[in-house]
Amino acid sequence: MKPFEYLEPATIAEATQLLSSHGEKARILAGGIDLLPRMRAGLIDGDYLISIRRIPNLDYLECDGFNGLAFGAMTKLRSLETSEALRSNYRSLYDAIHQITSIQVKCTGTAVGNLCVATPASDVATVLYSLGARVEITGIDGDRSEPIETFYVDAHRTCLGQGEMVTRVLVPSPAPGTQTVFLNLVKTHADVAKVSVAVAVTVEDGSCRDAKIAIGSVAPTVIRAYKAEAKLKGEELTPQLIQAAAITASGETRPISDVRSTAGYRKNMASVLVRRALEKALRRASDGSTKEENR
Amino acid sequence: MKPEIVSLKVNGQVHQVIVTPNMTLSEVLRGPLDLTGTKQGCGVGQCGSCTVLVDGTPTLSCSTLAIAVRDSEILTIEGLSTGDRVHPVQQAFIDLGAIQCGYCTPGMILMAVALVDENPNPTREDVKEWLGGNLCRCTGYVKIVDAVMAAAQTLREGDCR
Repeated sequence: MKPFEYLEPATIAEATQLLSSHGEKARILAGGIDLLPRMRAGLIDGDYLISIRRIPNLDYLECDGFNGLAFGAMTKLRSLETSEALRSNYRSLYDAIHQITSIQVKCTGTAVGNLCVATPASDVATVLYSLGARVEITGIDGDRSEPIETFYVDAHRTCLGQGEMVTRVLVPSPAPGTQTVFLNLVKTHADVAKVSVAVAVTVEDGSCRDAKIAIGSVAPTVIRAYKAEAKLKGEELTPQLIQAAAITASGETRPISDVRSTAGYRKNMASVLVRRALEKALRRASDGSTKEENR
Repeated sequence: MKPEIVSLKVNGQVHQVIVTPNMTLSEVLRGPLDLTGTKQGCGVGQCGSCTVLVDGTPTLSCSTLAIAVRDSEILTIEGLSTGDRVHPVQQAFIDLGAIQCGYCTPGMILMAVALVDENPNPTREDVKEWLGGNLCRCTGYVKIVDAVMAAAQTLREGDCR
């Protein structure tokens, strides 16, 4: 690995000061799961690694059905996965983390680190798009909060400016009657998905009061399928409507071909996964069996 | 980037080691500390063979900076046995032939130790989940799972070493 200076600020203010003064040459080190292998492979440079592990109060998880979910920049994926409250209130988020195979990765890797890599293939980010998450950012000029949709600007690019870091992620509590589903298509779970889909559907007497559909790995960032969502809102969730919304959602994707899949296959599978996710949400809503399935 | 003297607590013993910040924990364990039981496989955090326990937490030593874990308790495969007596998990791997080339074994065993510490009564599915991040390229997972199940039983029956 190329040489660098290792810095361990004791506060967020010190960290943002260091980020600001070292600019592009500085990188934040949290769990290191993504950063260190890429630095060793020479894929990215960093003259200054700013470790945030000694900053107090960044590793926590608050979760209840009323105030929602909050976690900090050092909260490990494993802490999210093992929270009973998260599992019962945010089923899709639990499923997305649970299917990550390596426990070692989840024990040291942070959820915020996963988000800051800014890959459109992040299963965690895909779920957070469907849950209306917000990202809290602290910089030398103060704090701001961004909806996750505007946190990302392009593949591998967030809206973070010089001297800014993510301190916290907030996820609102799903409205009563909301079912959240995560599905992805992978060759093997140790690999990155070809396509991921997360939906949050609020169902009242068989009709859809609200729907959020997020799709990963089909554009430079995770996307929301807004046109498909609009088709569903206020309507009865018939098989025909679900199928039509799935096709609309597929039309909203802009995938590329790469080593894992062709663009055409991604487009087709986006439609299949959206349909299956909506069907699963509706099925859970009608048998009220979420609790059962949680086990 | 200046070399620094860092104290690392490995297997209960404090070592003063000269490291540069860009040295990973696996490099320091296998290099200056000569603890070559920790294996480095892929070097990118995907194979699990470099797994050690840092404050009891399963950690990929190839993706961890040594300097970042000073003040932590690090347990490697060398720290599991006491004198001539190997840990029940190690004994079960030997007894049940859960080893082929052996390269993945230290990582597998440390994961298994972390599992039985957290859950003394795991199911086979639990074992598979816990070893999901550890690859055996000889491919002999059945015996490995058998060994962890047997070790868990031994430990429940009170072999405290």
